[in-house]
Amino acid sequence: MHRKDRGLIKELLKQTTPYDWLLLFFLIIVSLSGLISMKKFLPSGSLVTIEVEGREVYKLSLFQDRTVEIKGPIGTTVVEIKGQRVRIVESPCPNKICIKQGWISRGAIVCLPNRVVVTVGSGETTGGIDAITR
Amino acid sequence: MKKVLHILFSLTLAFLLLSCHKESDRIFKRSEFLMDTIVTVTVVSSSAEDADRAMNRVFQELKQMESLLNFFSTTSEISVINNAAGKHPVRVSDTTYNLLSLAREISEKTEGNFDITVGVISHLYDFLKKSHPSDSDINRLLPLVGYKKMELNSDKKDVFLQLKGMMIDPGGITKGYAADRAVEILKAEGIKAALVAVAGDIRGYGLKPDGKGWIVGIKDPRDSSEEGVFAILELRDMAISTSGDYQRFFIENGTLYHHIIDPKTGKPAKGLISVSVVGPKAAYTDALATALFVKGSVKGIKMVEALGYSAIIVDNKGEIHFSEHLKKMLKLLKHRISGSLED
Amino acid sequence: MQSQDRVRIALLAGYAIGLHMLERLIPTPIPWLRFGLANIITLIAIMLYGFRIGMMITLIRVFLGSLFVGTFLGPAFAMSLGGGIVSTCAMAVVYRTLPLLFSPFGLSLIGAFFHNVTQLALAYLLFVRRIEVILYLSPIILFLGIITGGINGLICGFIIKRLEPEITHIS
Repeated sequence: MHRKDRGLIKELLKQTTPYDWLLLFFLIIVSLSGLISMKKFLPSGSLVTIEVEGREVYKLSLFQDRTVEIKGPIGTTVVEIKGQRVRIVESPCPNKICIKQGWISRGAIVCLPNRVVVTVGSGETTGGIDAITR
Repeated sequence: MKKVLHILFSLTLAFLLLSCHKESDRIFKRSEFLMDTIVTVTVVSSSAEDADRAMNRVFQELKQMESLLNFFSTTSEISVINNAAGKHPVRVSDTTYNLLSLAREISEKTEGNFDITVGVISHLYDFLKKSHPSDSDINRLLPLVGYKKMELNSDKKDVFLQLKGMMIDPGGITKGYAADRAVEILKAEGIKAALVAVAGDIRGYGLKPDGKGWIVGIKDPRDSSEEGVFAILELRDMAISTSGDYQRFFIENGTLYHHIIDPKTGKPAKGLISVSVVGPKAAYTDALATALFVKGSVKGIKMVEALGYSAIIVDNKGEIHFSEHLKKMLKLLKHRISGSLED
Repeated sequence: MQSQDRVRIALLAGYAIGLHMLERLIPTPIPWLRFGLANIITLIAIMLYGFRIGMMITLIRVFLGSLFVGTFLGPAFAMSLGGGIVSTCAMAVVYRTLPLLFSPFGLSLIGAFFHNVTQLALAYLLFVRRIEVILYLSPIILFLGIITGGINGLICGFIIKRLEPEITHIS
């Protein structure tokens, strides 16, 4: 690192106030504890649910390899399940955030532009009821 | 400033380390379309691999059962037995044999209110095309109904339908039987808690990670939504099945035709709109729910209680009755069922 | 509105849109990692010229930017608009009520935080309607926001420091 660079960083840090750091510290704690507790509260399971515009279109098993195409408002999103993980392979969205997220085995992938939500969970929707005899 | 960074860094590290907690019990759920319905297996396990392996075995076994027991498949053992009716006995697998002897046992215990030989008439009701057999057809076929005309030979493991034209349809017990078999497999695989739902035939054992039993809702027979239930109960090492007139039906000229056929009349059973039976084995709850529905009166509840099972009945006035035994377990969300069936 | 103001607004909005577009060209290694470089301009505008001009720049940037990129009135536009308005307000309110408590670094952190919270809330209300999905994404997005918000704040502080002598000179 050049001396000039070091001087710049020093200068930048000097103008910060103690409250800046307090705030930074607080925000880091909030988000990290969120990350940690998320890991615990994340619904575990093997049911892959795919929704488009809030409508459920697929309920698939995480254990069964397959690829499905989903028609959304701006085009076709391709979801692949393989080796107990799921990912979005193709998407018409501009940023491709959903594709970059890669493989997941818990949690969710969201593609806002095409309104596609892929979640891995236990598929429980009825409040606390595990099954219905009908 | 360096100090501040140091503190921040070590705190971050501590948080990351804390996040690597030990693997605890998780719930794994998997659904597949099998036996003309959705089969859902829910297991509690600390390892995804164990859960996966056990569920694979269950679905494999159920697929095999389906190929043996499917009434509509021409290659199933059931079809082979039906085709040989009046001609010769058919040697069958243990799975089929055990199912049929269980079916006959329940027929005997329910005075024929449950009877798989009603298949010869019940298969003439088509709920998609909305067609039903005529009275003359029914009268002609009724002599072919009767579980006593199904011979089971336990030494040779063969089955013989005495009269030509007889047909067995084990659909009223297969799903419960499958749920029992699934539970056997899961227990053998070392799964400590699971819930198996073959459509509405449900059997559970063990406790969920939250320390509770499995919470099962009973479908409101007059609520057309998927989630509408009128009661819930906690299953602990128990099975539950429901038979109702709303499951498969059509309405013709104001008359309701549903899929639960009285073996004595060849027509849809009358008197009740929904029957749920609770007890140790799903094959029993499945068949007993049908038997009690056919019996058609609240008094029939004694029939299942005598066998060590309990029942929840909705009569055709919408009133709910249930076994004394269930008083503590059952939570009613509605005290009356209202509404009518819409075609 | 004075003509000087107009020139300032035009200039700063131009920078904001430029940075906004530039950012789209940078490939991001992590999903949801958006630098939010245009926020630097917003913060500069708030600190030097006040809330009104800061908000104006945000609005111009969101509307024109989305027209240029082709997301006008789409989901991305709604998110961008909501996040922009709320974060601009948050930064301006904190800066005005507690002027010396935070440096641009802290203000930028506040802006980033409110930007992300608003976007998550909008995503829930308008699109995803599944709270567990939003809760799952929140900590990751907030954490990334702290990093980019912090860096932006430092850059902002640097620029303001360099601009200050000239500004005092002009006025």
